[in-house]
Amino acid sequence: MASLVGLAGWLAASPLTTAATPLVTARAWIVPALQVVHIVGIAVVVIATALINLRTLGLIDADRPQRQVQAVWFPVLACAIVVLALTGYLLIASEPARALFRTVFWVKLGLIVLALVVTGVQGRLARRADVAPPTARLLAVAAGLLWVGVIFAGRWIAYADAWPGASA
Amino acid sequence: MSLDNIAGRLAQTPLAIALTDSGWLFGAVEAVHVMGLTLVLGSIGLVDLHLLGVVECERDTAAFIRRLLPLTWTGFVVAALAGTTLVFANPQGYFDNLFFRGKILLLIVAGLNVAVFHRFVQPRTAVSGAVAPRVSGAVSLALWLTIVSFGRWIGFTI
Repeated sequence: MASLVGLAGWLAASPLTTAATPLVTARAWIVPALQVVHIVGIAVVVIATALINLRTLGLIDADRPQRQVQAVWFPVLACAIVVLALTGYLLIASEPARALFRTVFWVKLGLIVLALVVTGVQGRLARRADVAPPTARLLAVAAGLLWVGVIFAGRWIAYADAWPGASA
Repeated sequence: MSLDNIAGRLAQTPLAIALTDSGWLFGAVEAVHVMGLTLVLGSIGLVDLHLLGVVECERDTAAFIRRLLPLTWTGFVVAALAGTTLVFANPQGYFDNLFFRGKILLLIVAGLNVAVFHRFVQPRTAVSGAVAPRVSGAVSLALWLTIVSFGRWIGFTI
């Protein structure tokens, strides 16, 4: 926990963050505009992971090979994650204490890593056969639930209490 | 019955009281709204990009739309139910908000756009080089992106 507080403090005070802060707060519309781009990125992740996971479960695109579905959507997912990381970082820079000093933000980051790993592993397992093995199906459901958790945690950043003693 | 009247009545419902009393209910419903709207935006955006010729997932547009339609409808029902619930938290505030009014108006336009698409444009998607599907895709994409933006702007202006 102490190292997390240290990391949060370091990120908040890092030169890149302090340089970005005046840029993204220069006009009132910049933050909501970044949030819209962030939401569009989330929409891309939602549709890409939904199609990957539902294909594993055989609920969509059952007539086409796993490889073909995954070859389209994994790169799209990767691009969306990059856009989300960039806009997410700029949103943090607009108000560093808001996200960094709340437990739910770090829970969100953990869930993202977990969701990506589970989606990836599930994809690998499912690719071996056209009808995915039970393990892959189970992981596909888990991945879907993890992404739901990511969205919940993300929205919760706005409502959670900051760590005691944190500046804001 | 005037709009103010309706707002006053909505504000006295058990749902409105639960939303304003609870410290977490509004945020939870908001998260559900985000889940629904991202599913709508993701699936409709995909169809729009397909109509614009940007993504070529499938030659048969009608089949492509049929595949995605269950996702779109699921997302829309979730987003609409959660969104309507959110209004109960502050009916007067939302009814007075310009971005909320604009969003409702644009949702109606988006609905009309879907109706026009199914009635007139979809039969033309099989024709290569047809202009109508492209126009329809561009209009739809612009509408939904504006709807999402207005939604986000409500949070900053209410």
